[in-house]
Amino acid sequence: MSFPDEPLLAPDADGRHIEDGHRQEDIAARIKKLVLGRPFAVLCTQGDGQPYGSLVAYAMQDDLRFASFATPTATRKYRLLTECDHIALLIDNRPEFPEEMMKVEAVTATGRATLIERGEEFERWAALLTGRHPYLSHFVRSSSCGLFRVEIVRYLHVSRFQEVRQWIPGSTG
Amino acid sequence: MDPRQHWVVPLSEAANCPEELIGGKAAKLGCAQAAGLVVPDGFCVTASAYEEFLAQSGLAKSVAMELGRKPLETMRWEEIWDTALRIRSEFLRTEIPKGVSADICRAVKKMHGKAVAVRSSALGEDSAGISFAGLHESVVGVMGEEAVLQAVRRVWASLWSDAALLYRRELSLDPMHSRMAVLVQEVIAEDRSGVAFGQDPRKLETDCAIIEAVPGQCALLVDGTVDPDRWIIRRSTGELVDWRPGIRDEAGADPLLEEDDLAGVLGLLGRVEELFGWPPDMEWTGRAARLTLLQARPITTNEPEKDDERSWYLSLRPGAKRLNDLARRVSEELIPELEEEGRRFAAEDLTAYNDDELADAIDIRLDALHKWHVVYREEFIPFAHGVRQLARYYNDAVRPSDPYEFVGLLKDQDMLASRRNRAFAKLARKLRTNKVLKDHLLAIVGREIQTTQTNWLQTIQPLRELAGGNELIEDLDLLIRDFMDITVGSQRLIDQPELILPTLLELTESAETTDGGAEDVGTTDTDDLESRLLQAVGDGRRDEATEVLRIGRLSWHLRDDDNLLVSRIESQLYRAASVGVERLRDNGRLSKDGDLSEAAVPVISAALRNPSQQSVELPRKEECASSFQSSSSAKARQLVGQPAAPGLATGSVRRIKSPESLAGFRSGEVLLCDAIQPMMTHIVPLAAAVVERRGGMLIHGAIIARELGIPCVNGIVDVMDLLVDGDLVTVDGHLGIVTVGKPEFDLELAAIADEKN
Repeated sequence: MSFPDEPLLAPDADGRHIEDGHRQEDIAARIKKLVLGRPFAVLCTQGDGQPYGSLVAYAMQDDLRFASFATPTATRKYRLLTECDHIALLIDNRPEFPEEMMKVEAVTATGRATLIERGEEFERWAALLTGRHPYLSHFVRSSSCGLFRVEIVRYLHVSRFQEVRQWIPGSTG
Repeated sequence: MDPRQHWVVPLSEAANCPEELIGGKAAKLGCAQAAGLVVPDGFCVTASAYEEFLAQSGLAKSVAMELGRKPLETMRWEEIWDTALRIRSEFLRTEIPKGVSADICRAVKKMHGKAVAVRSSALGEDSAGISFAGLHESVVGVMGEEAVLQAVRRVWASLWSDAALLYRRELSLDPMHSRMAVLVQEVIAEDRSGVAFGQDPRKLETDCAIIEAVPGQCALLVDGTVDPDRWIIRRSTGELVDWRPGIRDEAGADPLLEEDDLAGVLGLLGRVEELFGWPPDMEWTGRAARLTLLQARPITTNEPEKDDERSWYLSLRPGAKRLNDLARRVSEELIPELEEEGRRFAAEDLTAYNDDELADAIDIRLDALHKWHVVYREEFIPFAHGVRQLARYYNDAVRPSDPYEFVGLLKDQDMLASRRNRAFAKLARKLRTNKVLKDHLLAIVGREIQTTQTNWLQTIQPLRELAGGNELIEDLDLLIRDFMDITVGSQRLIDQPELILPTLLELTESAETTDGGAEDVGTTDTDDLESRLLQAVGDGRRDEATEVLRIGRLSWHLRDDDNLLVSRIESQLYRAASVGVERLRDNGRLSKDGDLSEAAVPVISAALRNPSQQSVELPRKEECASSFQSSSSAKARQLVGQPAAPGLATGSVRRIKSPESLAGFRSGEVLLCDAIQPMMTHIVPLAAAVVERRGGMLIHGAIIARELGIPCVNGIVDVMDLLVDGDLVTVDGHLGIVTVGKPEFDLELAAIADEKN
C-alpha cells in the first residue's frame, strides 16, 4: 500500500493522470513556439572576460539548429564576435506578461557565431534573416554589415520563474 | 465621487450600489433592508478596498507567485493548503492602506461598540450555479477597530483558502480574477437560528419548503457543529410533510420551533421570494414575529458528480468538535485496536494450519487490511487536520514571519518511528565503540546474502563468538521484531533483516548518532513557542489554546504511528500469503512463479481452499509506464518545488524505490523518493538533503528534515523520472529549487573542438 498523506486533486490518486499530462508537455515544441514567434533576441558576447549584451533582430531555421543575424562591422559586438565566437541568445516573452512573472518563458540558446563571406552561402543566410525581417534587406546587404550564422548547441528553457529544462537541437522529443 | 473609490458603503445605501462593488451577499441584504425586511445593520467594505489593499501592498504579485509555482491541477490538496496558509499569513501581516483602514474604523465607531460579524461577500459568490457557502471565512463576535481590521484581513485571505481555490478549480474559474467585498454587521443574539429553503434543493419540489433550526447562532448550523431540527412543509397548504429532530446532547427535547415560529419563517421565505423573484436559500435568526434575515441567495441546484471528491476534501477540514471526537476515537479506540490486531496476527503460528485454516487466516488479514484502509481514509486522514488547526491558530495569534514556525511545537513526540530511530542510533553508538564487531558486520555486508531467515541466522552466528556479539544480536532481533514488521511495496522488511545492516553501519559514521540521536533535539524552542502562543492569546483563551495544542500534537503523533501500524497489518497479510505460496509450491501447484502482491492474495487463498489440486498462476505486477527521461531528450537543469525545510546541500542522488535501495543508501547522498514514509525515516539522518515528488510542508519528510536541519524540497512533479541515481544536485531548501549538475559548457566546447578538427 502506498500511504497518501493527503489526497491528490487529480482524479487518479496515484498521480498518473497528472504525470502523463506533464510528460506530454513537449519542451522542444515550447522552445520552437517561443523562438520562431519572436523577432528579436538579446545577443550575449564577451571580451576580456567582460560580458556584453545587445538586442538583435534574428531569424531561426525551422529545425532550430541555426539562426542568423547581422550587425554593422563598426560595432562593439562585431569586434567581440571576431575575437570570441562563443555566444548566447536570449529570447523571451516578457512583453506579453509585464505583470505576471510566472507566465514569462525564456530560452537561452548557446552556440557559435560564424561570419559569412559574400557568396552563395551569404545569400542563403541573408534570405533567412530578411524572410523574417524584410525591412532589413538593405541593411544586411550593405558593405559595412556583417552577417552571422549561429550554430545552436543547446537550449535552456525557463518557465515559472525558475523551472529549467535543457534541450539539444536535432534530438527527438 | 466615483463609486469605485468608495472603500466603505453603509448597508442602508447598499441597494443603490452596483453588485460588482459590494458582492452578491451585501447587495441582496441591502435590497432586503430597503424593502423593509429586518436585517442586522452594518456596512460593506467594497471590492475596491480589497483591490487597493492588494495593489498598495504588492500582495497581488505575491499571490501570483504562489499560485504560479506549479499548475494548480498538479497540486495535491495538501500543497494547496500550504499555498493558502502562506498567502493567509502574508495577508494577516500586511498593513491595510491608511485611507481604507480609516474609513473602516470610522464605520466601526458608528456601531457604538457592538459586537459584529465580519463575513465575505465575494463577487459572483452566490448565484444559481455557484455557491461558495462555507468556503470563505466568517469571523463572529468581533469587538473594536483593530480586531475588525484583522477580521477583514482574514476574510479577504479566505478568498485564497484551500477550499475556495479547489472549488474555483472545479468550476474552471481563474482564481486570479476573484475579488472580495466584506460585510460587517452587528451580531443579533437570539435563542434560535437556522436556514430555510423555498424549495427542496434535492428534489426541486416547488411546493415544499425546508426549515432547519438550531439553538443559538446560525454559524453553529452552517459549520456543522450542531445537528439541526428539520421540517419539510408544503407551502401551498402549510401542511407538515416531515419533521426530524436534530441529534444533540439533550435527548427527547421538544421541537426547537413552535407553530408560529415556523409560520414566521415561511412568511419571511415568501417575502424574500417575492422581492427577488426566486425561491431562496436563506439564513435567519429569531422567533415568530421578530425574525431577522441574515442572508438570502438562490438555491444551488448542482448535483455532485458521481466521482466528485469535493465533499471528502471539505471533510478534511473538520471543525473543532469533530476533531475532538476524532481525537478521542483515534487515540482511545482505533490505534489500540489496530495495534492489538497486528500483534495478534504476528503471534499466530501459520505453518501449523491446514490449508483451509491458512486460507481463512489470509482472508481475515485481507479483510482487516481493507477495513483499515477505509478507516485510514475516513478517520486517520481527516484527523491529520489537527496539525493544520494548530497552524492557523498559532499564526492568527502570534502572526510569525515564518508561517511554519508552529512546526517547532510538534517536536519531541514519542512516535513509533522516533522510537525505532532511537533504537537504530543506540545500536550504532554501540558498534562505533566495538571495532571488531563493526569490522565483522562490514565483512557480512560485503558478501551476497540470501534472504532467508535460516541464512540470516547462520550469517550472524559467528558474531556470538565476539565480545558484545550476543548483546548485538539480541538488540538487532528486538529492533527487527519491534519495528521492521512493515512493508515497502509488497516486500516485508522483517524478511530481509540483512538489509538494515548497511544503514546501521552508515549510522555509526553519522554525526547524528554521536549527538545522542536526531530525536533528542532540545526542548527549549518548543517551550519558547508554547509560551509565545499562550502569551499571545491571553489568559482568557489559555484553555482553548492548550486544547488546540494537545489535539495538534496528538494528530501529528498518531498520524505517524497509524502508517506504521497499518503497514504491520499489510506485512502480516504478506506473511500469511507467503506461507500459502510456499505450500502451493511444495505441492507442485504453482505453474509459474508470479509476484506476491495484493492482487495475488485472493488467488492464493482460493487455491488453498480448492481441493481439486489444480495448478495456479499468480498474477504479475504491472510495470510502470516509461519515464519522462526515456521518452524525451529534454533534460532537467533546474527543478522547482516547495521549500519544505531550509538549508543548502549538494550531493549525489539516490532514488528509494525498494528495500534494497533503502539498504544501499549512503551517508551524504541526496534522498530522492516519491514520499518519505514512516518506514524509511531511519535513513533520513544520513541524507545530505531530501527531495520528494509529493508536496506538502507537513508531510513526514518535510517535518523530519526540518527537525534534523536537512534541506528538503518537495512537490516536484515527475522528479522520480527526471533524476537518476548518481546525478549531482544542489538542493536549495530556502527557495525550493533543485539544480542539476555543475555549470558546464562541455557541449559547446566539444562542438567547437569538432569544428576545428
